[in-house]
Amino acid sequence: MIRLEHVTKVYDITIAVNDFSLEVAKGEVCVLIGPSGCGKTTTLRMINRLIEPTSGKIYIDGKDTSQIKPEQLRLSIGYAIQSVGLFPHLSVAQNIATVPELLHWDRKRVARRVDELLELVGLNPREYARKYPRELSGGEAQRIGVARALAADPPILLMDEPFGAVDPLTRERLQAQFVRIQQEVRKTVILVTHDLDEAIRLADRIAIMAAGKLVQHDTPETILSRPSNKFVHDFVGTDRALKRLSRISITNFIRQSSSVNVNAPVKEVMAACDKCRWVWVVNDAGQLVGWIDRTTLPEGGSVKEAIVQVKPEEIAVLTSATLREALSRMLGQGFRSVPVVDDKVRLIGEVTLRDIESATAETETS
Amino acid sequence: MSTAKTPQQSFAPDSVAVTGTVIGLLALVPGWLTLKPSRVAAGVSLKLWELEWGAVGLFVVLWSACLVLGLIGVKRRSIFLGILANLIIILTLIFAGFAASRLHATTTPIARVAPGAGFWVTLFAAYVLVFAARQKTRSSPLWRNLLSWSGLTVFFVLLFLGWFDSISVMQEFMGQEDRFAQELTRHMLLFGGSVIIGTLIGIPLGIWSARSRRAEKPIFFIANITQTIPSLALFGLLIAPLSALSFAFPVLREFGIRGVGATPAIIALIIYSLLPIIQNTYTSLRNLDPAVIDAGLGMGMSRMQIFRRIEVPLAAPIVLEGVRIALVQSVGLTAVAALIGAGGLGAFVFQGLGQAAPDLIILGAIPIIILALLVDALMRTVVRITRPRGLAGGGA
Repeated sequence: MIRLEHVTKVYDITIAVNDFSLEVAKGEVCVLIGPSGCGKTTTLRMINRLIEPTSGKIYIDGKDTSQIKPEQLRLSIGYAIQSVGLFPHLSVAQNIATVPELLHWDRKRVARRVDELLELVGLNPREYARKYPRELSGGEAQRIGVARALAADPPILLMDEPFGAVDPLTRERLQAQFVRIQQEVRKTVILVTHDLDEAIRLADRIAIMAAGKLVQHDTPETILSRPSNKFVHDFVGTDRALKRLSRISITNFIRQSSSVNVNAPVKEVMAACDKCRWVWVVNDAGQLVGWIDRTTLPEGGSVKEAIVQVKPEEIAVLTSATLREALSRMLGQGFRSVPVVDDKVRLIGEVTLRDIESATAETETS
Repeated sequence: MSTAKTPQQSFAPDSVAVTGTVIGLLALVPGWLTLKPSRVAAGVSLKLWELEWGAVGLFVVLWSACLVLGLIGVKRRSIFLGILANLIIILTLIFAGFAASRLHATTTPIARVAPGAGFWVTLFAAYVLVFAARQKTRSSPLWRNLLSWSGLTVFFVLLFLGWFDSISVMQEFMGQEDRFAQELTRHMLLFGGSVIIGTLIGIPLGIWSARSRRAEKPIFFIANITQTIPSLALFGLLIAPLSALSFAFPVLREFGIRGVGATPAIIALIIYSLLPIIQNTYTSLRNLDPAVIDAGLGMGMSRMQIFRRIEVPLAAPIVLEGVRIALVQSVGLTAVAALIGAGGLGAFVFQGLGQAAPDLIILGAIPIIILALLVDALMRTVVRITRPRGLAGGGA
C-alpha cells in the first residue's frame, strides 16, 4: 500500500532522514517511534508531500507520489496532528466538512457524513455540530481532529502524535476508541509517537527510528521479545515483560471460577469449592456483588452475613481487558486472582496470577 | 436604604463621577453667554443668574442628584447617573439656544452671542459623567449606545430646527453655508481617499512583511520613521520635491500635482495611514496558529484556499482595526493639511486663528471632532461584525 524506498531528507548540513525504506500493508497500523529529532515526523510529512524528500521515492498503491499534484495527493490522505489545528472561525460541522467540501460533495451528503463521523468518534451530533473549537475540551478537539481527517473516507491516515496533547486518562480513552474505530474502518495508518505504551497498544507493526534511520520494523511482540540491537533493547526498557502483557488479551486465560448466590446458605459455599479459600458472590442476575473468605465463615449462617461487598468496577476487569490490566488490578487489591465480568457486570470467570506468570514465561522463551 | 444590604454595595464613591459633578457645579459660576457688539469686538460675559434664575435652580438640583448617585457609587445605579447626565446635556443645549435668541432679540443685528466658559465646561462635565456611567453599567449595548449618542442626536435635531441660529457660530455658518459644505466634502474626500489608498498599499506590504523575514525589517523601519515625523514637517518636506517635479514636468500640473494643495496632503496622509495598517496586517497573520495552516495544507487545501478560507476571515477584524486607527488619525491630520492649502475643515480653524475670530475656529473644530467620533463608532461596528462567531467576542 505505502512504500518508501531509500528516502533521504537533508537540511543544509543535517541529515533528518537517512536512506529510509519501509513498507506498510493495506489496513495496517504502523507506528513510527523514536527519540525526539529522530526524523519520524519528517518521514510522515514526506508521505503527503508537506516535505519533499531530497532523494528516494514514495509509492502509494504502486504510484509514485512525486508524480501526483500535492493537493490532489493530500485530499486522499487523512491528516491529524497533535495540536489538532481546528479552524477557530468554523463550527465543528464546518471543520469536519473541510475535505468533502474541497471535493465538492453535495450539501446533504456532507451533512450526513458529518453526523456519521461525530457518532463514530462518540460525540452527539446534535450537541456538537454547532459548537466552535474554543468551546471544546482538549479530548473533544482531538476527536474532532480525527473525525475531520476521516471525513472523505481516505484509504490512508497519517497521524502525528494525535493523542499527545491531552491528560493521561483522556489519552487512554482516545486510544481505546482509536482501536475500536480502526476495527471498523480498517484504514492504512501511519502514526508517529514517542510514547512506547501507545505504540504497543495501537500498532500492528512498530518502526523504531534513530538518527534518521530505521532500526527495527516488526510486530510489537517481536520488538519486545527480540530487540534487534542494544538501542532497541534500551529503548523498550527493562519493563519489556510488563509491556508485553498489554499486547495479550485475557480471553485465553479466563478460567471457570466458583461462585455462590448471595441468598444461598453457607453449606453451598462449602459445596462450591472445597479446596479454595475465596469464593465470588453473585446476585440472582449473575452479577458480581462481592466475595467470601471461607475461613471466616460462621457455622450454619447465610452467605449474606459473611459477604465482603465490593464495587465490581474497582476489582473486576472486562473480557476485553489485557493481561497487564488484570495484573494491575491484582496488585492494586492484593489478590492472587481477578474476576472477569461482561459489560453487564455478570461474572464470567477469573484470571489468576499463576496464569499471568506462565504467559510471561511462554513469550520470554519463544 | 435597601441597596446597603451587603458591604460591597454600600459606600463605594465613584471618584470619576464625583469629580465630574464638582466640575459641573463649579461651571455654574463663570459666564454662560458672551454678548459682543460685533464679530471681532470684545464682549460682555453674562452669568447664568443674569440670564435666568430658574436655570440655576434646575442645574443645582440635577447636579446634586448626580452627586448623591456618585457618592453612593452603586453599579446598578450608574444607568441613572448616565440618564441624568444626558438630561443635563440636553437641557444645557436647549437653554443656550433659548437664552441666546432671547438676548439677540434685544440687540442690534450685527451683535454676536457666543457660548461662554460655563456652557462648555458644563457639557464637558456632563460627558465625564456619561463615560463614567457607561463604563460601570451592566446594561445592554443598546443602553450604552443611547447614553453615548443621545446628546449628539439631540444636538443635531436642535441644529436642524434652527434652535441655535442666534448663536454666533451658527451665524458664522449661515454666512458661508456653501463653503462649509464644500470644505466638509473636501475634508472627507481627503482623509477617506488617503486611507483607502493607504489600505490598498498597506495590506500587501503587511502581508509581504509577515511572509518574508527579509522584507520585514526595512518595511517596518521606514513605516516607523515616517510616523515619528511631525505632521507639519512632513507636509512641509513634500512641498520642495513636488514643486520641483511639477516645475520640471509642467504636464503634471494638468493633473493637479503641485508643491502645495491636495497632492502633498494626500501623500502625507497616505504615509501616516500606512503604519497602523501594515502593523495590524502583519500581526494578524503572524498570530495565526501555525497548526491551523499546517492542518489546512495537510488536508489538501491550496495556498490560495488557505488564504481565502482561513487567513482572510481570521485576519480581517484585526486589519480593519488598523484601518479604523488610520481613519480616526487622518480626520485630525487632515485639519493640519489646510496649512499647505489642501482645504478641508482645517481651513476654518486657521482662518479663525488668523482673524482672531473664535467662532470661526469652533465652526471648523466641532465638526472635526464629531467626524472623528462618527468614523470611530462606524468602524468599531464594522470590526465587530466581521469578527467570526467562533472567536472570543465575535458575532454581531
